[in-house]
Amino acid sequence: MRIMAYEALDFYDVDSLLSDEERMVRDMVRDWVDEEVIPNIEKACRDGVFPDEWRVALGEMGVLGAPLKGYGCPGLSYTAYGVICRELERGDSGLRSFASVQGSLAMYPIWDFGSEEQKNHYLPKMASGEWIGCFGLTEPDYGSNPGDMITKAEDKGDHYLLNGAKMWITNGTIAEIAVVWAKLDGVIRGFIVEKNDPGFSAPEMKGKHSLKASVTSELVFQDCKIPKDRMLPDVKGLRGPFSCLNNARFGISWGALGSAQACFDSAKDYALSRIQFNHPIASYQLVQNKLAWMLREITKGQLLAYHLALKKDSGTWIPEHISLAKMNNVDIALEIARVARDIHGANGILDEYPIMRHMANLESVKTYEGTHDIHNLIIGRHITGIQAFTREV
Amino acid sequence: MKLVRLVKLKHKKTFERHRGENMNIAVLLKQVPDTTAKITISAGKVDESLVSKWSMSPYDEYALESGLQMKEASGGVLIAITCGPERAKKMLTDAAAVGADTLVHISDEGVKDSTHVQKLLAAAVKKFGADIVLCGKQAADTNGGSTGPGVAEILEVACVTLVSEVNYEDGKITTIRPSSMGTEKVSLNGMGVFAFDKGSSELRRPNVRGIMMAKKKVIESITSGDLGVELGISNITLDSQTPPPAKAAGQKFEGAEHVPTVVSKLRNEANVI
Repeated sequence: MRIMAYEALDFYDVDSLLSDEERMVRDMVRDWVDEEVIPNIEKACRDGVFPDEWRVALGEMGVLGAPLKGYGCPGLSYTAYGVICRELERGDSGLRSFASVQGSLAMYPIWDFGSEEQKNHYLPKMASGEWIGCFGLTEPDYGSNPGDMITKAEDKGDHYLLNGAKMWITNGTIAEIAVVWAKLDGVIRGFIVEKNDPGFSAPEMKGKHSLKASVTSELVFQDCKIPKDRMLPDVKGLRGPFSCLNNARFGISWGALGSAQACFDSAKDYALSRIQFNHPIASYQLVQNKLAWMLREITKGQLLAYHLALKKDSGTWIPEHISLAKMNNVDIALEIARVARDIHGANGILDEYPIMRHMANLESVKTYEGTHDIHNLIIGRHITGIQAFTREV
Repeated sequence: MKLVRLVKLKHKKTFERHRGENMNIAVLLKQVPDTTAKITISAGKVDESLVSKWSMSPYDEYALESGLQMKEASGGVLIAITCGPERAKKMLTDAAAVGADTLVHISDEGVKDSTHVQKLLAAAVKKFGADIVLCGKQAADTNGGSTGPGVAEILEVACVTLVSEVNYEDGKITTIRPSSMGTEKVSLNGMGVFAFDKGSSELRRPNVRGIMMAKKKVIESITSGDLGVELGISNITLDSQTPPPAKAAGQKFEGAEHVPTVVSKLRNEANVI
């Protein structure tokens, strides 16, 4: 018998705006998260592994690369993609990270900038989950400033030679392929590196207190030799990686709401059942104020995410729209996790409740895919017309 | 150890269209309040407008799963049939998302009791030329348990209840059900209605491809008139519904001196040890 215990906080009934198809996709992912992810997530975190059966299930459900069309990809709306991210991240940000990286960061650049041969070769197997992909942009010394990356590619006539290192790469160690951004004659280009290419290694980064059920790796290229047909032909410069990041950040703006909802649900249930001074703590004004604030921020975040999805689907978005939603929704989710921990009292630190896990995860989510501050600068530039990233104006 | 007893059922009537392979498999489905949904009673009746989530009745899910497996093994068409209000159409689309081929919605207008539902379902089974009928042993809301036997009676075919799986083998339909000695395998060489208990297979999940196909599927909406069924009057009136009595408050014991009392209560009152 299926477990169907979850009733999502949806104060303004935003989900009633979803199409039937989007609702069915939501229910499919939601049920799977309830049945397979939530009962197993704490163990996955303790063991520091991404369970392989989750890869298989995501492939079988057909949600990887959700908004991409053709080449065995699902062809769903961006709204559906957002909903999928939200439902996955209610389980865990590490799970949503897996799907974001696979779909938006590894499949998307091949789909948008790859050759026909590359699309036909890689995308069907990535959509089915058979091949995991990762995305190499960030370097040890270049995070918010990827334009100054050191990793370079050299044209050696019949092959390219890659040298350099990438860091903080989700899925790196378990990936069959990596979409790697490197400078060829000073211009950023995308390259597809396969797991067994000579000179390539992807050691796992250990000791994380956040996203523990997600694999994070370094990518190391030491005279890594790849065939000439592995360069993505149709993009040059930072537009390539930034296009991918826009899609991933869009997914995060929805995903963070999933974490926030999980924390709200837990805080509400706990407050109603925890008795202090002979009454449930939910009956005290200070606690109600916290719960009301959580509901307020989640509801605003839902409206922001939904409207952004409409703009994505209609093609009327600008990157600044995505920056605002990513920044806001992760920010409120993290603060909601902290307030939820407060409502849970000491119990909030135990893995019996999802709170501390979501909180620790969201610290990463706040930083990756454009830090909170960088998104503020993107919006600041939009408002003033003056970029404030660098002094070299 | 489980004993398996073999039973052969003599059916009263075979289906005309029974072909053994490429069967038309009818699965009777009911949309019920989700088992976790809060039920509110107002003015002595369940207020359906306050049910937050409607789902396919869980035993029907096993019937559907078994029908899909049968279709995959021997070919055929799976016809999902429900009798209910407009909202029940969503459940048919859910069935299509996992593989139902034909979706039939019978309007419940004028339906007063379960015999009316049985008449309509039986007529639809005939209309769509089903060779075998699968359903849940009872619906999760009313727990009446009358649909399977009632439909079989009208169709004048055998009914096997509490089955956990149904297979088509060597021209026969075989099924597993519990018996007083363990389980029994029952075979039919003709048409029958099979009412499912919890099945032995895991239920399949939908996937995006199935959902997108389901979206395009047309639901055939029919009425009692279309089926030529005269519902007639009903002798049954549902007078009132009441929620279950509130659970008595728990009892709390602190300290080792209460152990004998707790043990005694667990043994004599709760009957758990």
